[in-house]
Amino acid sequence: MAKYYGGCDLGSTTGKAVILKDGEIVATACIRSKIDPVETGREVLNLAIQQIDDLEKVEDLEKLVGTGYGRNEVPFADENVSEITCHAVGAHFCDNNIRTIVDVGGQDIKAIALSDTGSVLEFAMNDKCAAGTGRFYEAVVRTFDLSLDEFSALSLKAKKIVPVTSQCTVFAESELVSLLYKRNSPADIAAGVQLSVAKRVFTLARRVGVKPGVTVTGGCSKNIGLVKALEKTLRTPISLLSTDPQLTGALGAAVLASRNGSG
Amino acid sequence: MNQAVIPDFFRQILDQPVNNLVDQAQEQGKKAIAYTCSYVPQPLLSLDGVFPIRVRAPGVVGTPMADTYLSSVICSYTRSVLELALEWAFDSLDGWVFAASCDHLRRLYDNLDYLNKPAFNHMIDMPHRGGAAAEKWLTEEYKSLGAALAESFGVDASPQALSRSIKEHNAYLSVMREISKMRKQDNPPVTGAMFQTLLAASTSAPKDMVMDELKALLARLRESNEGKPYRARVLLAGSHCDDPGYIDVIEKTGGLVVAERTCTGSIPALAPIPENDAPYETLAGQALANISCPRMMESFQARVDEILEAVEEYRADGVVLQTMKFCDTWGVESGPMVQELRKAGVPILKLEREYTMSSEGQLQTRIQAFLESMGK
Repeated sequence: MAKYYGGCDLGSTTGKAVILKDGEIVATACIRSKIDPVETGREVLNLAIQQIDDLEKVEDLEKLVGTGYGRNEVPFADENVSEITCHAVGAHFCDNNIRTIVDVGGQDIKAIALSDTGSVLEFAMNDKCAAGTGRFYEAVVRTFDLSLDEFSALSLKAKKIVPVTSQCTVFAESELVSLLYKRNSPADIAAGVQLSVAKRVFTLARRVGVKPGVTVTGGCSKNIGLVKALEKTLRTPISLLSTDPQLTGALGAAVLASRNGSG
Repeated sequence: MNQAVIPDFFRQILDQPVNNLVDQAQEQGKKAIAYTCSYVPQPLLSLDGVFPIRVRAPGVVGTPMADTYLSSVICSYTRSVLELALEWAFDSLDGWVFAASCDHLRRLYDNLDYLNKPAFNHMIDMPHRGGAAAEKWLTEEYKSLGAALAESFGVDASPQALSRSIKEHNAYLSVMREISKMRKQDNPPVTGAMFQTLLAASTSAPKDMVMDELKALLARLRESNEGKPYRARVLLAGSHCDDPGYIDVIEKTGGLVVAERTCTGSIPALAPIPENDAPYETLAGQALANISCPRMMESFQARVDEILEAVEEYRADGVVLQTMKFCDTWGVESGPMVQELRKAGVPILKLEREYTMSSEGQLQTRIQAFLESMGK
């Protein structure tokens, strides 16, 4: 029977799973995180496993690596690895020209510098505050009464930028309401939001150094308005990964499982 | 299997800002003197009739009151201590001694003097450079403190009395050094969190009341032959870190803290003090030459070398450099320090922290990624 290797990334907002066979992605899944991380892990892995005829249960995987905030809560994983290493390995697996990763996730922003072999040279993370993360965007789009895709598209239609000064999610939400009530163009305010997040990423990315070969991973990578704002602030083109960038951590975990498991 | 554990005796000392042993010693007529900085010499506060308490702020939850008195860029340790002081947590102590080592602790002195008015509140003036003139100056400062203690508490602050105190302090240092030395072993019986518990506990209580327990533990550690498994040996450097819990997070993630180059850690706090007829002069010389706080000018390279030597001596795989939020001395030092250590090929992770433990998950992620980046 063919060997399957799994990676499971239990983030604050979503749980992701990737299964590899012979170095190829054969199944993926992504679900909203539940209150119980064990349940999130079990469900997302089962969703991925169901896509493969040869597999029935988690134990059928040759090896499983857990990552993300719930990495210690994946009792069925053989090993856990930090999401920083997993994002590096996952991004390098997709594109070995990547040297800088900006991971904008549910509650964290990370900047990671990679070597040409995909190992972590340096990293920087935000502290406690969740400004500029997925949680921040959830509050923002609620104010605009839009989906994230609609908000992202709206921001790209801006003619100018209305600055959003509050970094704090709670204060930013009330600032946005004030700006909308003052009849500013919603598109221009949306662009202001994207710029404020991009600036936050900029300061972290500068700490690790921005080398050409930049990519964005994590759930917020799907926000094209943010990606465009990042290109402007970082002054470099951003390469989007061929694989769903939200799965990069889980993919890296699966790659590590296959490396160690096949060794 | 024979793995040593730290007795509850030491852990319980750390639970409270002022512990029961302090109360007991005071009931016996001794006076408890608080201090916040390594430039305040413990032997001088250990003269007959008084004992030193290095102030910690366990259990502080937020600093709303302190924030109204202090500027927003005052360090988190200062803020936490003032908060507890404003909750009357230290009111049972008999006095405070400060060193003008940084502006933050000077502000703690000012605010304490203004808000709580301790019966004894003394400030030692500290030179920023070494050398003969500075030693002379600091000797006079220490003598002034001795005189103030004699006047307020009736202690004998003569050179002979201080020499006796230094001898007793050396006996304590010798036990701690024995324990610290064990951390050089391949499989140390004592973890960094265990060692910090001992060090913080023995500076938070009268030493004569912890010595028997320390000696008993040393004997047990000598018998133990099993240490905690680890992935990498880590040297902890940077500013004030009196919380074993912070080190415990590093160790839960697979690092083993084998030494601390911090003012509250093993290096250089355990260096023996020469015993001679000029104890005030000796304490001044020792403080200026050995404490290696980045507040001292012209000795940056010595501090780099000290870390490099410790990395070699304790066979550390990497350095975790933690700096207290808004500690400007370490804030300035850490940039070039990181560069120098990297140049020397030492893996280093720089972390900024609050005095109280927060965001444990994010700290774990950083530590784990650091260990992984070293291939551990």
